[in-house]
Amino acid sequence: MPPASIFESFFATQGFALFEFLGEGEFRLIGTWPAWCRAMWGDLPTGQETVRIGDASPFLENFLFDAEQFWASKSSGSVNSGNWTERDSAGREIPLEASAYLLEGKRLIVVRNLSETFDQQQELFQTARDSLLVYEKLLREIQKKEILLHCIVHDLTQPLSAMNSVFHLLEREQLPAQLKKHVKTGERESQRQELMIRGILEAFSSDLAAQNSAKESAGDAPDLAACAQRAVREFSTAFRDHDVRLRFDSRAKKSTDWRVTGDDARLDRIFGNLLENAMRYSHKDTTVTVGVEDQGAFILAFVDDEGPGLPKDQPESQLFALFSKGKSHSGKAGLGLYFCKITVERWGGTIGAETRAQGGSRFWFRLPRAEKGSRKSETPAPEKHSPAEHAKKEKPARRLRILVADDADINRELLIELLEKRGHIAIGAKDGREAVAELEKHDFDVLLVDEEMPHMTGLQATRAIRERETGTTRHQIIIGISGHVTEEDEQRFRDGGMDAILAKPVHMQKLYEIVESTTAHVGGSRAVQAAQVAPATRPIESSAAPNTAPTSSAAGDSVAYLERSTGGNKKLMASLVAILFADAPKALARIGRAIAQNNSAEVAAAAHLLKGSLAIFGASKAVESARSLEAMGKTANLREAALEFQALETEFTNLRMQLASLAPKQKSTKHSETKTGRKTKPAAKSRKR
Amino acid sequence: MIQKKICMLGSFSVGKTSLVRRFVTSLFDEKYHTTIGVKVDKKIVKANGQDVTLVLWDIHGEDVYQKMRMSYLRGMSGYLLVADGTRRQTLDDALSLNERVVQEFGRIPALLLLNKYDLTDQWEIDSSQGAKLAAAGWNVFNTSAKTGDAVEGAFLQLAQATLDK
Repeated sequence: MPPASIFESFFATQGFALFEFLGEGEFRLIGTWPAWCRAMWGDLPTGQETVRIGDASPFLENFLFDAEQFWASKSSGSVNSGNWTERDSAGREIPLEASAYLLEGKRLIVVRNLSETFDQQQELFQTARDSLLVYEKLLREIQKKEILLHCIVHDLTQPLSAMNSVFHLLEREQLPAQLKKHVKTGERESQRQELMIRGILEAFSSDLAAQNSAKESAGDAPDLAACAQRAVREFSTAFRDHDVRLRFDSRAKKSTDWRVTGDDARLDRIFGNLLENAMRYSHKDTTVTVGVEDQGAFILAFVDDEGPGLPKDQPESQLFALFSKGKSHSGKAGLGLYFCKITVERWGGTIGAETRAQGGSRFWFRLPRAEKGSRKSETPAPEKHSPAEHAKKEKPARRLRILVADDADINRELLIELLEKRGHIAIGAKDGREAVAELEKHDFDVLLVDEEMPHMTGLQATRAIRERETGTTRHQIIIGISGHVTEEDEQRFRDGGMDAILAKPVHMQKLYEIVESTTAHVGGSRAVQAAQVAPATRPIESSAAPNTAPTSSAAGDSVAYLERSTGGNKKLMASLVAILFADAPKALARIGRAIAQNNSAEVAAAAHLLKGSLAIFGASKAVESARSLEAMGKTANLREAALEFQALETEFTNLRMQLASLAPKQKSTKHSETKTGRKTKPAAKSRKR
Repeated sequence: MIQKKICMLGSFSVGKTSLVRRFVTSLFDEKYHTTIGVKVDKKIVKANGQDVTLVLWDIHGEDVYQKMRMSYLRGMSGYLLVADGTRRQTLDDALSLNERVVQEFGRIPALLLLNKYDLTDQWEIDSSQGAKLAAAGWNVFNTSAKTGDAVEGAFLQLAQATLDK
């Protein structure tokens, strides 16, 4: 070994070992053999000129492949091995790093002992990864709480759904007028309760979204006096049933601007909660008064009752706490007032309660007045109806012509039937291309279009329609239908030019609400000024309440679920079941075949269609399996598809048993034909209406 | 003596280093020490009646800070894919990492270890998922580097599999 120069000795003391590659795994050591190399790989054999470092270290052996490639490429610079750690003869861990260079035609490898600097690097990574772990843990905790909340809401909603069904059945019976009235009240209240529970879920799970949804400018802001009057109207029957009078305080001047920061739907819920609370504590023949007061920058709303007043041993703040209930346990779960508090405070308001000097209690909330200056016109605004009010009307304001584009026969059938039942005219199209062609030939007030369809998707169809409208004053109302509506999806639909979104599975009331309120916004005319309905400024109306997805966990709930979706229309239910029974086995066979052939695209397409069909029946487990298969198909990863397919088949069998009683009796000679023109058995090529 | 290169793969903090430590030295440290780069260890085991040196490559977990170099896996005879049973996401990450490995190196002997089985009260991987994995061809071990449960068995089974191949 040649004597070491000062430079080489310095190099070694800094933790470097330098080698020149001679070929065939042989290296020549340049300079001295550092002590740390000796501690790890032993002494160099005496008198030996070369060393095989690859034999000493498995990591270096692996790195030599990269180094040789680098030398062969004759590139400048270097190639680095990354860090590795080996143990020395004393069991200590030595952090190392190697680099390969090509200098003056020599192939060099530098191995560096990183012990001096490694601790700092280690500490940095340790801190970063510890923080990541804490962050992950926090996220999991939040998710767990959200799941718990969903479970609670689901559990609360389930009995109400059953109650709704029972009321619905009772309504059809020949009952005495008085009893019928009670049944109607019961049905209305249980439906309202269901809506309120869902509202709470919305408030909890999308705190930020709720905050953003508050309307602060006077142009869109809710009128607090109008909300109070509406609440009095809606609750008057329930109060009458309890022999309690409910009145609106007539001292509120009509000329005052009562608009506040907030939104109509949540204000309705706040008044609803306060009125329910007042009704619960009011004695017979007493009066509950709802009113509003002008307080300068704020507007106060109050609900006064003549009940026992606030409990003396319970601080006011506790009344609005989560799960707080009065000692008499007259209340429910203790969520209502908590909901009022978080909502009002989110809008920059305050809420409170007090015992009135003249007896009884006052529950009040105060909200900031809406900002002025953005008022669209000084002329009185036309009377607005909330979407719910639209849907509650027995018949729509006018008969609409609606084009329904959906590739799934069963979904198209359901939508057309529901819309016709409502008095509208509905026509079907099997994909986006057919829909666009149909719109070229005929006028429609609304296009309801599924997001995912073959040939032309809903968004592609929307773009084509919007392009055609460019330079005209026309604006086709387009409502997208999607099985999964997240905020991102909403943005995507909005950007794509759609006016509203309807979440699948479609519920009758929600369908009417969105179709009718969306057309009401444009004053009932298809040809309107573009500026009035420019998509960028129009709110997206979404039916995507977090639990509008199927909530039933077992097929056992499917009949009740279907009854609710179809408004109890037996004929329609039978027709949908017939379609399902005809199509689903074929779709299952198609999926099975595609899995066997490893045909991912086919798996995705067939699972997508089946998913839409199953969702109508609230078969959540089956829907979930179909969704998983669709995802596996889309990502071309069918590794677990066979297992998921098995689960899907089992779920479908359960669903089939559950729905068997609804299936129409099969006729031996003639097959029944549904309203969309498709034969239910055997499956025939469907035709649009 | 026969040498077999065995790689430990999986997300950060799933317990790869602890599993190696438990297997090689029968020790366990409660504190999490993150791995930077690769740690190379060796252990001689008996398989098929002969001594086999397992060269264990404990490769750092992937995260936003460090991506794994596929070149580390060159020449491996088998690998242990490790997920933390108390963090569901690490299983998804492990399976996705596995896809990259299979794409690059083809199918070679591998076992899936769901580690931290001593923390079953925090377990996030349900039995149906286990069944799905088994159906997908995975040999799954519920291991605990802390208690030593199934650790040696997993390494030995993989050693055996590398010889049988």
